[in-house]
Formats: sequence, C-alpha cells, structure tokens
Amino acid sequence: MNQAPLAVRASGLVKRYGDVLAVDGLDLDIPAGQFFGLLGPNGSGKTSTLHMLATLIRPSGGSARVAGHDVVKDALKVRAAIGLVFQESALDRTLSVAENLRFAGLLYNLTSKIIEERSAELLELFDLADRRNWAVGSLSGGMRRALDIVRGVIHHPRILFLDEPTIGLDLPRRRKIWRFIEKLRARTGMTVLLTTHYLEEADSCDRVAFIKSGRLVKSGSPRELVESLGRYIVEIESPDVSALARRLGSGFGDCIKDEDVAHFRYAGEDVTRVAQLQGELGAQVSALRWRRPNLNDVFLWVAEGKL
Amino acid sequence: MTVQWRPVYAVLEREVVRMFRQRTRLISAMVRPLIWLFVIGAGFGAVLGQASGVSYQQFLIPGVLGLTMLFGAMLAALTMVYDKESGVMRMLIVAPFAHYWIVIAKMLAAALAAVLQALLLLILLAVLGTLGAETRFGLLALGLIATSLACAGIGMLVAAFTRTLDNFAAIMNFVIFPVFFLSGSLYPVNRLPAILKAVSLANPYTYGVDLLKHATLGVLPSGMGADFRVWVDLAVLAGFTLAALLIASWRFSQESAYEPMIHILTGKHGGG
Repeated sequence: MNQAPLAVRASGLVKRYGDVLAVDGLDLDIPAGQFFGLLGPNGSGKTSTLHMLATLIRPSGGSARVAGHDVVKDALKVRAAIGLVFQESALDRTLSVAENLRFAGLLYNLTSKIIEERSAELLELFDLADRRNWAVGSLSGGMRRALDIVRGVIHHPRILFLDEPTIGLDLPRRRKIWRFIEKLRARTGMTVLLTTHYLEEADSCDRVAFIKSGRLVKSGSPRELVESLGRYIVEIESPDVSALARRLGSGFGDCIKDEDVAHFRYAGEDVTRVAQLQGELGAQVSALRWRRPNLNDVFLWVAEGKL
Repeated sequence: MTVQWRPVYAVLEREVVRMFRQRTRLISAMVRPLIWLFVIGAGFGAVLGQASGVSYQQFLIPGVLGLTMLFGAMLAALTMVYDKESGVMRMLIVAPFAHYWIVIAKMLAAALAAVLQALLLLILLAVLGTLGAETRFGLLALGLIATSLACAGIGMLVAAFTRTLDNFAAIMNFVIFPVFFLSGSLYPVNRLPAILKAVSLANPYTYGVDLLKHATLGVLPSGMGADFRVWVDLAVLAGFTLAALLIASWRFSQESAYEPMIHILTGKHGGG
C-alpha cells in the first residue's frame, strides 16, 4: 500500500440552475478514511456539491467519482457505497426507532438478522438503546438527529455524507452528535464528508475546504489554515475605521472592516509592537485587543477574498 | 433490470404496519361500505323491490367491495405524497435502486392495502350473512387482485401529479367520487343514459366492478348482473394498470432526475 485510494475525486464539477451558477468548476480530492469538512456561507454551493456526489442531482459539467464509481454512469454503485444524512430528517415519525432502522436496512437489501445486530450495536453507540421501541415522533430533536445518522450508516457505507449534521441543535446536543461521529469513525474508519457553517466544529476535521460562490478558494488542515493567517488577530475599534486602515495599511497590511472594528493580521511573535499602537494612534483607537486566530477568522478572510 | 425484492418488501411491510396502526382509517374503511349496503342499499331496495331475482343490496356488494379497494388503494398511494412532505422519501431516493422501483413498490403496497381491506370486509359480510352462497371464489380472488392493482394505478397517477396533501378534499371530489359514481357500482351500465354510459365505459374502474359482479352475481338475464365478458374486464384492467405504472414512473423519474423533487425534499429552490 503506497497511497490511500481516493474516496472522492471531483474535477471541474459544475452545477447550473438556469442563470445561476451554484457550483463553478470545483475540484476535490478526498483520500479514503479522511474526515473532511466543506465550509462556506449559505448559498455557496455546499449542498449542491454534496447532492451531486451523492448522485441525487446531475452535474451540468465536469465529472466526479465516489468510492471509485462515476456518479452519473454508476449512480447505483455510488449509492450502495455511501450513506447520506440530509439537513432535515428522513425518518418516519409514525414508526418506532427499530421499525425505521428495519425499513432503512431492507432498502439496502440487508437481511433481518443483520439489521437486528447492527441496530443493537449502533443504538448502543448512539445512546439510543433504551429507545428502541419508542415512536420517532416522541424523541427529542437531538435523539432524532442521532437516529438519522444511525439510519444513514446501517448499511456500513464506506463514505458518509453529513449535510449540516448539527443544524438547529443547542450546544450540548451538538457536542453529543460530534462525540457520536467520532466514535463511529474510530470504530469503522469510514470517510466522512461534512458541510457545516459552525466553524468551531470543523476543528476536528483532518482537512477543510472553503467554498465561495461555487468555487474552492482555500483548503488545508484547520491548523495550517489558522497558522497561515498569522500569529495574532488584532482588533481595533475606532471612530474612523477607514482612516485607521489607511494609516496602518503599510505596516500591518490589509484589514477586514466589521462596522467600527478593523481586524488586522499580525505575524510577529512580539506583541509589544501591537501594544504600542494604543499610544501611537491616540484618539483614533477606542479599544484594542489581540488574540489567537481561529477557523472563524479564516472564514472571514476567505469570504472577503483576502486570503 | 435487477429485481429488488427486499426493498419492495420493505415498502409493503411499512404500508401494512401503518394501515393497522391508523385505526380510524381502517374502521372508516369498514364503516363506509356498510353504510352503503345497509342504509342506502336497504332504503333503495325497499323502493325498488326485488328487481328480477336480485335485491338491490346484493347488487351493491361488488360496488362496495370496489369502493373499499378504491379508497384503500388511494390513501395508500397518496403516502407517496406524504413521504415527499414528511421527508421519508429521502430514505428511498438515496437507496441503491433505480427510482422507478419506488413507484413499482408503492403501487404494489397500495394494491396490497386495498386487497387486505377488501378481505376484512368480505369476512364481515360473511359473518353478517350478506355474502351469497353462489359466490365464485376463484373469480373473486382474480377480481380483487385485478381491481386493487387498477385502483392502485389510479392512486399512483394522482400521487404523481399531486404536490401536497392539502388538496385531499379536491381529490375526493374530482377523482374518487366520479370514479365511483360513474362505474356501474350503483346501477347497471347497460341501463344508463347514453352520455353517462359513455363515461362509464371509459372508466377503467367500471371493469373492476364488473369483474366482481361476475364473481358475486354472475350474468343475469335481467341485466342486473355483469355487463361485459371476463376477458374484456381483465384486458382493460391490465392495460390500464400497466399504462398507469408507466406514466407514474415516467413522471417520478422526471421529478427525481431533473431535480424539482430534491429541492422539495431539501427545502431549496436552486442556488444553494
């Protein structure tokens, strides 16, 4: 084994809706076993990309192979190899937890016995073992989301697509869902491709890619990306942000203006230089702080097209 | 075309589980025909008297069997729309089989639901002593299967062209009632005025009821029995069922291949 095979390989993928270009020549390589995050603002083309890879919509151009199969010519083989958890629930609220899993398992041509075994194992893993016979309609939102993921992996897919898996959940429940996904990955080693706009959640990804207007603009490991921003983000609040930006532009480079706060990147390790700014700028500064950058900053700089 | 029996079975099983779980749906499916039979049938029967060897109540039996199947298949076929609205369709469209299998499975499930309800009704009628001893059971079984499939076909056609269940009342008024009233269920087709007769002859459901008349009434010299030959009934029902399946599959694959459906299911309308 010299090189891990690619779980997803897209080249020049295009999706057009009338005049709108939702996905604009996207290239994407995801090695098998990777935990990959596709990040971007709403309407940036994340979901369209995911649905093309999952064979649910047809690319307008370009090509993609998932688990080694072409998404257009071998759609059924692709669908057999992947699990897909949509933003909204796919469960039947009138059936019980076990009945939903049975339905899902039979759709993947699994035998009753295998469905039983896997349901028991997965429900245990997702803390739902004691809810087996509950009607799905009576589960909490977090439990339903967990069950939707169990439903998506009952056939042991090699690649799992998660479209905003924690959307609409509160923080403790979001954390719980992430722990479940971590456990699942640890146990099965499956490739996971997720989209999210809660960027702090993407920190645990092996690799993330930022997508903007249907194009991949930046990708790398979360750490690399954060480090590429610099060592510090300096936020200066000022009554005249534009004047401030002009004055500091030569020394600190481009900034991002957010209302009356300007964000500068600072690559140096020595923050005394930053601390001195307060005195130098005088009345131009209402507040000044510096902190370590995070993925949210990467997102902002990418969105502004300045990274 | 690989046959996918387990997925088809999954759809059938879910339909049956849901049918028995929705008690009111099942009870009203039993009460509806009994009202026709014992209220309307008895009332008109008293007015009309014994029209040439068969009471009006007996004449109605094939009609109410058909009615039970029409409603049963219709409601089951409309779960196609319910599944789109509730999102369960997501499970079906990501599963690894061609999307026309969803239509085939749903149609078989609707037919199965219809047959099960008709069988329940037959048991009730037998217990009540309303089912005549001259019933031909082989023909009855054939009639139930062929009619339930045709009713499922009507249901799938309606489901394929319906976006939401909000207009169920419209479906009742513009599909179920006309199909039932213009079918020979309540009166012999051969005695209808020309226009109504023409409409009834164009209604595939008429031939299902006729097949059931063969099974329970036979051909009567008075004209109160079956109107057509058995093979004519079977040919029309089979032809219609196949055409309905093809049209519904075509329509559904249009929806899934050309994306409006995925946008309904994901709440998106392009761009995202």
